[in-house]
Amino acid sequence: MVSAPTVEKPASAEELARRLHDAASSKLAVVPVGGGRASGMGDPAERCDVLLHTTRLDRVIEHSQADMVVSVEAGITLEALQAELAKAGQFLPLDPFNSPGHTIGGLLATGWTGPLRLRYGSPRDFLIGIRVALPDGRLATGGGRVVKNVSGYDMMKLHYGALGSLGVIVAASFKVFPKPLHDMTVSSGGGWADAERALATPVAPSALELFSDGRVLARYTGSPDAINRVVKDLGWQQTDEVAWKEHASRAPERWARIAVPRERLREVVADLGEWWASPGAGIAYWSIGSDAASVKVTRAKAESLGGSLVMLAAPDHFMREAGAWGAPPSTLELQQRLRNAFDPNHVLNPGRFVV
Amino acid sequence: MPLPGGVAEELRRIVGRESVVDAPNDLRIFERDGSIEGAIPDAVVLASTTKEVSDVIKVAAKHRIPVVPRGAGTGLSGGAVTIRGGIALQVTRMRRILEIDPVAQTALVEPGVVNQELSLVAAQHGLFYAPDPSSQKACTIGGNAAENSGGPHCLYYGVTTNHVLGMEVVLADGSVQWVSGDAPDRVGLDLCGVLVGSEGTLCAITKIKVRLLRVPPSVATLLAAFPSIEAASQAVSAVIGHGIVPAALEMMDKVTVGAVEAHYHAGYPTDAGAVLLVEVDGIAESTRELMDAITDILARNQGYAMREAQTPAERDLLWAGRKGAIGALGRIKPNYYLHDGVVPRSRLPQVLSAVGEIGEHYKLPVANVFHAGDGNLHPNILFDLRDRQVLHQVEAAGEEMLRAVVELGGALSGEHGIGLEKSAFMPWIYSEDDLDAMHRVKDVLDADGILNPGKIFPDPSRKPIQLAGRTGLAVEAKWW
Repeated sequence: MVSAPTVEKPASAEELARRLHDAASSKLAVVPVGGGRASGMGDPAERCDVLLHTTRLDRVIEHSQADMVVSVEAGITLEALQAELAKAGQFLPLDPFNSPGHTIGGLLATGWTGPLRLRYGSPRDFLIGIRVALPDGRLATGGGRVVKNVSGYDMMKLHYGALGSLGVIVAASFKVFPKPLHDMTVSSGGGWADAERALATPVAPSALELFSDGRVLARYTGSPDAINRVVKDLGWQQTDEVAWKEHASRAPERWARIAVPRERLREVVADLGEWWASPGAGIAYWSIGSDAASVKVTRAKAESLGGSLVMLAAPDHFMREAGAWGAPPSTLELQQRLRNAFDPNHVLNPGRFVV
Repeated sequence: MPLPGGVAEELRRIVGRESVVDAPNDLRIFERDGSIEGAIPDAVVLASTTKEVSDVIKVAAKHRIPVVPRGAGTGLSGGAVTIRGGIALQVTRMRRILEIDPVAQTALVEPGVVNQELSLVAAQHGLFYAPDPSSQKACTIGGNAAENSGGPHCLYYGVTTNHVLGMEVVLADGSVQWVSGDAPDRVGLDLCGVLVGSEGTLCAITKIKVRLLRVPPSVATLLAAFPSIEAASQAVSAVIGHGIVPAALEMMDKVTVGAVEAHYHAGYPTDAGAVLLVEVDGIAESTRELMDAITDILARNQGYAMREAQTPAERDLLWAGRKGAIGALGRIKPNYYLHDGVVPRSRLPQVLSAVGEIGEHYKLPVANVFHAGDGNLHPNILFDLRDRQVLHQVEAAGEEMLRAVVELGGALSGEHGIGLEKSAFMPWIYSEDDLDAMHRVKDVLDADGILNPGKIFPDPSRKPIQLAGRTGLAVEAKWW
């Protein structure tokens, strides 16, 4: 009989590192948990002895308004962080799907992003410092609290999107951004043609989402004069900003992220049923029907273009049949050696990540 | 120290007789990069293909000989210096732009392609490559990727790592791998992100896929004078605090402005305590609107003598002054030691006043020219190498300045890298555990430590810095 996992809710980074070390010393399998919004990502864990929650690590460590830099503990929710930043007219340009409720640590570990990625990039681009608890109980910091930094290896890149396979993120620092001078959302029903037209406007949209029913939602931010001109030229209908909030709450029961070179996205989604996409970023989200075989067909197409199809959530049996990740990277052997250097007994999320 | 017997012959079999340099006099050319310390390699190999790079590294791995990848040698932290001897692996013959894809807005280049050349070629498609180090006329994309280089326009556009989509690399065992590529969100660990900025200590880079951006249709560039560095710093914070992130926001102090003006006659106000160079780009409506707002903010923060470039030629002249500032400093002293540190932007006035005091203490002139928007300062300590006694003072002053940076919450380097220059200072900002985590990465990728050894990590066995041999261009120009 499988016993229920132990639940640990440490109140500090040091305590979390100790709990992780304790579990690792006993070769217990540890599954880090943040807001649980992306808990469906990855293959089903092979074992789970300890659920290590980060949610009590929810402090803003330092928000330096003048420097536009913020350091937070990993268990803070994105919404709580945005509320803090908003006091200074600032924000973190991250608007992931299945919101609200994501924690910062979870977002960094999973690499989930949203529509604003088109203009601002992903946290890979604005994460400037990271602190990680390692299975040997050490706390290791990389980067710093300055917006530009080449002091040593870029440890942020090592942990971003690694699904907690090398350590548990306990704190992070970000470069944050001023709220744009002007922010306008427009929509049309013109499908790919309109999406491409909007992406080619002289001021590029900060977000542009295309839906399988042909709807297009575009967000323009920046200088008011420029935006007004571009929006006027487009001639689309102005829409309430709340559309973005609704959009960010999307999370189908079975869904996948498709990422390909952006100019190839259209051919990959052409045969799919329900989806939405950021054509400028080369990313689409697919609400999958009941057929796991269809995942393999679409994945093969994405991979043949150098891209990927990653499952974000599905019932276990579906996930097992479709597989969460698809083809492993060509550098898998090297990646496994990196993993072994940090987690030699594979106690972190065993079986979930591709590495 | 010559290479072990037979190795030179092995290398010649790979790249051809003419492409291995090992005559003592010829090797001296490869003694340095743009930093102050040098070491003569045992051999230089001029590689032309990925296969050659791979085969050379295999030979080095077999004999456990250090290999140091080298581009144009413009680096400022000793990244290309063969401090433990061995092979300098020169990739400047690999200088083809293999592909520019105007639809995908990407370029595939060999590592020896010169930064500015890429933007010039991409301009035919209305595109450009954003990271623009001040050495962009000479530095290579391969070197930029190895060092994760920045530049004035990185304030808005981001540094090299934000523009590299993928790389072909040769690992320490000589194997060739592609990391990342055109598609976003790759499955697995982000090796590409870790390798960019690893300063030649984890791999040699043989191809780079980069993102290109559309050339903005309109650019506006403004020069503004301020009574003091403090006032100019305040103005920088005010602009960004207003919600405007300009494409570039550069500061020069009085010493720099004096030298630049004498050299370029760009119309820089020599009476000012500091000068800001501000650039915005976009469509005409936005540049006009943003520049009007910026002018207004600067005026409210003691800005005066504001002058906007009216023609592309005027803009080029303003930028020539900024990008050529370091060379112009040769008018003051023949040699310089260019430092690089980053502080939280609001600490700029404090750190610059500390830098000034340190310079006065050591009786060394200091000129500041830097990326104010990022808080990335570049104090230049000016000296004359013919006075041999001054070197220790220069070193000590540089170290104290860096110490001030760190004490104000900053980092050791914003864009030049740690290399040889700052490896001893790494424990100032990282704990033993932090460095241990980085070292695990090194050990996995280069267990025998043949790739650019002696860099980034502190080396307790290292002798004090040898500032030998370099004569400044200014001496040759007979300005004294």
